[in-house]
Amino acid sequence: MASVKLTDVKKVYDNNVTAVHDFNLEIHDKEFVVFVGPSGCGKSTTLRMIAGLEDISGGTVEIDGVVVNDLQPKDRDIAMVFQNYALYPHMTVYDNIAFSLRLKHMPEDEIYERVTGAAEILGITQYLTRKPRALSGGQRQRVAIGRAMVRNSKVFLMDEPLSNLDAKLRNQMRAEIILLRKKLDTTFVYVTHDQTEAMTLGDRIVIMRDGYIEQVGTPTEVFEQPHNTFVAGFIGAPMMNMVPAQLKREGRQITVSLLGAEIPVTGDKLEELLAKDVHSGEILLGVRPEHMMLVHEAGPDTIAATLEVNEMMGSELHMHVIAPDETRLIVRVPTVNLTTEQRERLVYGATVHLTFEPKVMHFFDKEKGTNLIYG
Amino acid sequence: MSEKRVEPSSAPVQQHMGLKASRAISNTAIYVLLVIISVIWLIPFVCIVLQSFRVESTWQVGYVIPQKWGLDNYRNLLQTDFTRWYLNTFIIALITAVLQTVIVLCMSYTLSRFRFKMRGPLMRFMLILGMFPGMLTMIILYRVLKDLGMTQENAVPGLILVYIASSGMGYYVSKGFFDTIPKSLDEAARVDGATRLQVLYKIILPLSKPIVIYTILTAFMGPWGDFVFARYISFGASAGKNVAVGLYDWLSKDQINKSYTMFCAGGVLVALPVTILFMCLQRYYVEGVTGGAVKG
Repeated sequence: MASVKLTDVKKVYDNNVTAVHDFNLEIHDKEFVVFVGPSGCGKSTTLRMIAGLEDISGGTVEIDGVVVNDLQPKDRDIAMVFQNYALYPHMTVYDNIAFSLRLKHMPEDEIYERVTGAAEILGITQYLTRKPRALSGGQRQRVAIGRAMVRNSKVFLMDEPLSNLDAKLRNQMRAEIILLRKKLDTTFVYVTHDQTEAMTLGDRIVIMRDGYIEQVGTPTEVFEQPHNTFVAGFIGAPMMNMVPAQLKREGRQITVSLLGAEIPVTGDKLEELLAKDVHSGEILLGVRPEHMMLVHEAGPDTIAATLEVNEMMGSELHMHVIAPDETRLIVRVPTVNLTTEQRERLVYGATVHLTFEPKVMHFFDKEKGTNLIYG
Repeated sequence: MSEKRVEPSSAPVQQHMGLKASRAISNTAIYVLLVIISVIWLIPFVCIVLQSFRVESTWQVGYVIPQKWGLDNYRNLLQTDFTRWYLNTFIIALITAVLQTVIVLCMSYTLSRFRFKMRGPLMRFMLILGMFPGMLTMIILYRVLKDLGMTQENAVPGLILVYIASSGMGYYVSKGFFDTIPKSLDEAARVDGATRLQVLYKIILPLSKPIVIYTILTAFMGPWGDFVFARYISFGASAGKNVAVGLYDWLSKDQINKSYTMFCAGGVLVALPVTILFMCLQRYYVEGVTGGAVKG
């Protein structure tokens, strides 16, 4: 159990490509931090620098207050789970899990206790004598987690541990990682490209792009207060709708006009915008698909659009609609709110009317993409 | 109804039989060809084995099957310097096999896993250097070894030195094999607390059995059958000869008539350990040769 502190950490490869720029983050003791971002954003590189598998080009990495820049991975007291499991193929499951303990010359009976203990928690006791090739993907991942678990290290690093598993197993393992985290109660750093994993697992999420941190925050913060259009688009599925809009301010009145609708801003959002002293001008308005509502009659605050694709997801419809100015939007409509007759009317080419409440609107600078309130 | 059913199902069966028959024919042809090649290949060996048991005369004769069989040639062999040569060869081959294997495997692992500044140029340099025939170094090597006192009757350490000196350059096959082992295994082991050396012998080598055996075999075979270097470094001194040089000298004009059958017996004894080694390890050897390309 330990804190991890990264100060101005930088990674420049031999071909002068900078993978990570001035990364600053303090991970607290027993915190679960998730690095998330598209491929090539530097999240894995940062994790590997913490592990000691990549040289650090600049800045310092501290574990428990000790600078570890020049320490070998074996001297950092970390455990790591790899994307492709990285189990030793020539060893049995037991030997795989016991490997690190044997390197430490731990007495065999203590090794036995730890290995069987971990196997019990992970439900792999009956596979201890098997070789990894005789295991399924999910079982292999459990062994990999077991191997990291028995070491009782200060920091637990996980590099996309679930991305080799099929969707069903991934959901199951995700839940197990949450339980495991409660049992281990140690510091976790978890890398993923899957925003669902990030949202469900992390105490805090670090969203990265092109080697820069875009935002650090709790799942609720990054979802409700995205600092810029990138974070807004990355977190949440389907991604947030971004519509060019006009913001009009008259004294303490603010309205947004977009796609033929005039929507007055009220409540907290109005106060926050006024506090930031925004002026009239072009903006990007963000509204999440689940915050758009289907209304049955046109009004001053509704958008008219044509239905293009209707994806039936079971409990909800994902409607892909196109506005008269070619802006594409996605709307999530819970099927429970629709009558059969209404549902039958939602066919290709049908005109639908959409609206949303001011409290779910996100206001972004059109040029810079930063959030006008939180950016 | 039943007739209708038989017709369509019999067609694929016939086709299947045709396929089977043509496969059997082509297999037979291949086996016949392989048997012919093996027989041609084996004729010289069979001749030598038969000659080694011939006791009615010691010179070359015009027939293959001995008129009188016996072990005299082998018995006589033990009275000559042959045992010394055999021991020399064995010591040289064994030490070379051990040292060369260690050097080659370390070199291959280094070039496969480490990224250092001169890695590319070094590999290219060794590739180009390897294209020059080793014989080019003969004169200077002799000079150096003579100054070090490692020629003639002291040729054994000299030869070991010659064989292992450039062995690191033979890294290609094993590096190719190591490249196919995922790097994340190394990383996992390093995080688990292993040093680089522990990674090599606890993780990489157990996974590379075929290539390790291949390396040992080739390292053993080189000095076991070497003639050129062994001949000029021992330079006529019987105590420094290996079997190839010693036996060859029995084929000189004034020796051949009294030692031809003994030469054959020596040849059989030289071939024996290598043959046994290969028979036991051929599975690994083939895996090792092809392993660099596709991981087994």
